[in-house]
Amino acid sequence: MNQLPLDPADGGGRFPGFDVIAQSGHWDRATQSVVGSRLGLLPHVRFFTPEEEVVARALFDQILDQREEPRVPVFNMVDVRLAEQQTDGWHYESLPADAEAWRRSLRALSDDADARHGVGFADCAWEQQSAILDAVQKRGDDDWHGFPASRVWSLWTRYACTAFYSHPWAWNEIGFAGPAYPRGYKNMGVDRLEPFEVRDIRPHDDPARRDS
Amino acid sequence: MGRVEDRNQSAWLLLPDGSRPEPRLRDQMRRFADDDEVDLVIVGCGAGGSTLLQRMARAGWKVVALDAGPFWEPETDWVSDEAGSHHLYWEEPRVIGGSDPVPLGSNNSGRGVGGSMVHYAGYTPRFHPSDFHTRSLDGVGADWPFAYEDLKPYYSDIENELPVAGEDWPWGDPHSYPQRPHPVSGNGELFMRGADAEGITAKVGPVAISNGRFGHRPHCIYRGFCLQGCKVNAKASPLITHIPDALDHGAEVRADSMVSSIEIDERTGRATGVHYIQDGRSRFQRARMVAIAGYSIETPRLLLNSTSKRFPDGLCNDFDQVGRYLMVQGAPQTAGRFESEVRMWKGPPPEVSTEDFYETDPSKPYKRGFSIQSVSPMPIAWAEHVMAQGHWGAALRHYMSDYVHWASYGALCEFLPQPDNRVTLAEETDRHGLRVAKFDYSQCDNDRQLLAAAQGVMERILTAAGASEVITIQRFAHLVGGARMADNERDGVVDGDGVTFAVPNLLITDGSVLPTQGSANPALTIMAVAARAADRLIRRKG
Repeated sequence: MNQLPLDPADGGGRFPGFDVIAQSGHWDRATQSVVGSRLGLLPHVRFFTPEEEVVARALFDQILDQREEPRVPVFNMVDVRLAEQQTDGWHYESLPADAEAWRRSLRALSDDADARHGVGFADCAWEQQSAILDAVQKRGDDDWHGFPASRVWSLWTRYACTAFYSHPWAWNEIGFAGPAYPRGYKNMGVDRLEPFEVRDIRPHDDPARRDS
Repeated sequence: MGRVEDRNQSAWLLLPDGSRPEPRLRDQMRRFADDDEVDLVIVGCGAGGSTLLQRMARAGWKVVALDAGPFWEPETDWVSDEAGSHHLYWEEPRVIGGSDPVPLGSNNSGRGVGGSMVHYAGYTPRFHPSDFHTRSLDGVGADWPFAYEDLKPYYSDIENELPVAGEDWPWGDPHSYPQRPHPVSGNGELFMRGADAEGITAKVGPVAISNGRFGHRPHCIYRGFCLQGCKVNAKASPLITHIPDALDHGAEVRADSMVSSIEIDERTGRATGVHYIQDGRSRFQRARMVAIAGYSIETPRLLLNSTSKRFPDGLCNDFDQVGRYLMVQGAPQTAGRFESEVRMWKGPPPEVSTEDFYETDPSKPYKRGFSIQSVSPMPIAWAEHVMAQGHWGAALRHYMSDYVHWASYGALCEFLPQPDNRVTLAEETDRHGLRVAKFDYSQCDNDRQLLAAAQGVMERILTAAGASEVITIQRFAHLVGGARMADNERDGVVDGDGVTFAVPNLLITDGSVLPTQGSANPALTIMAVAARAADRLIRRKG
């Protein structure tokens, strides 16, 4: 398994056959071990309570549009970080420290779901969940359950993307060749590829242009 | 001046294969006892602290440098991976506030021997002569206690020690570099193409990445992970450019030692040493002199946490100057979409820059200016660019799938020093029970005008190079100030030699002493200012 499910209409399958892990024999040991650990079994859940876990899993599925297996185990990766207090080295004055901010914001998300639909966030339909999150994002700097919505949004998306885009399956999806030591690169320059890189088969698939 | 190897042997003190410093340097390192009164104890082993350490050890001083973080072994401790490099940053808690809060950690804060130069990109431009007297010249910012000419020989010394590679530099005080410019990747190639079409001068460099073998240090392999620590030992950081020579001349580096306060003799008013915590134990290192080099957040925090009868509001804080005038540069990054594949992660992020917009332009409503440089975000950083456009879910994944097609440039805007942009102490404490730093930041109108102007120029360059779309993310870069140099104690914390006004045997030798920041990356200037302070200290002894 080296590809995540992603519809070609949503940017899937642009780099056919590309597999970063196939190159891992060229990496140094320290890097092999760090990246390799993301593909193995992750530790038991230590930080989130079972109630928080249900909400957090649904939240991460939404942020990264992971609707089916196989998934990058974003929930478990974030749990590891929070259990090990691996923060970003700062938190906004308007939010508590990350651990507490996570617990309180997940509770607030549950409250929103309950108020709107009378069920927990994870038990809402996919579109209902999306709409709840969309409303949080659109609040911008306005208050959301006692916090500036933009700061909570930043917390959620930072942790989610750091986990997802550290995973080799996500790298395969975006054509990123990953670690490059001690081999380095020989073919630098516009449109110049290394023998192990795979060219985008849909170079016209510019999502910015499609939006407009 | 003279030959580098006669002044600083560091590059020749690596093993012949360049893989690491000679193990004997650490195995047989001199170790002082806590009750030895060393000549100088330095707090922090980054750009400023390591340079001072090496200079003083060479001068025969008994000197020890403490660092809160580890003494790195790059081959085993560092990885070619974004998320796996978190331990390079200052991850202890800090609180950020103000109307424009500045994220810390990976963005600007190091921890461990080598400091944040371990994960800086490697750009090492000089400040311009105008940066040293912006108050007289432009009516904004501050004047330094000394001029560019006073720092010039130290710039040249450090450029040769790192060493710096780049084209002949036409801006500021025109100068050349000891090494030829590196070849550029697709990202840099498009920068040159777009700038040329717009009539903007762009040059390759200046980067402290060895172009060719230097001493025993190997050539760059263009793997692109400069911000994750250079495992190759091609990119300069004090860990390989100054620490080896310091150890070889009898200095001690005491890692994993968090300094909690500076001790002051209530009778003489002089510093007597530093309290620090190592392996859970509280210890005290006696010293004849103390130098603080903890950078713009930790240096003010340490001063504020060092209270005594003489200094109830924090050490050297008689005039409420500690922590003030802290600066960051406005660093918006603008990216452009190309039909071709750019694969901007290949090659070092620092490649090409322009300083055409660095100085005050009398035709513009704002003072001072900005520089523009190539940057090349890795996937996690790139996801932040995409999310900054408001995308998440399916749109985020789709945008990210387009990564190979984007080129990205960053501006460094000279935000002005303001008294309320400062470090204070938060109520929150760290695991040692020490109050953590709170950093407030708010932009002024001039700052906001620079951001808009810089974004406009980046969009011009990208569009002229052929980009079909451009997107911009607002961010900040670098830290300087917080314990600035001044002519007198009412305007700053230290004099032009880095000596604190309040305590005659206490120095500050890091980026926090800079009164202005220009539009230049600060590492080279921090090292040059520390080298100058060392020189002055050596001459004063006796």
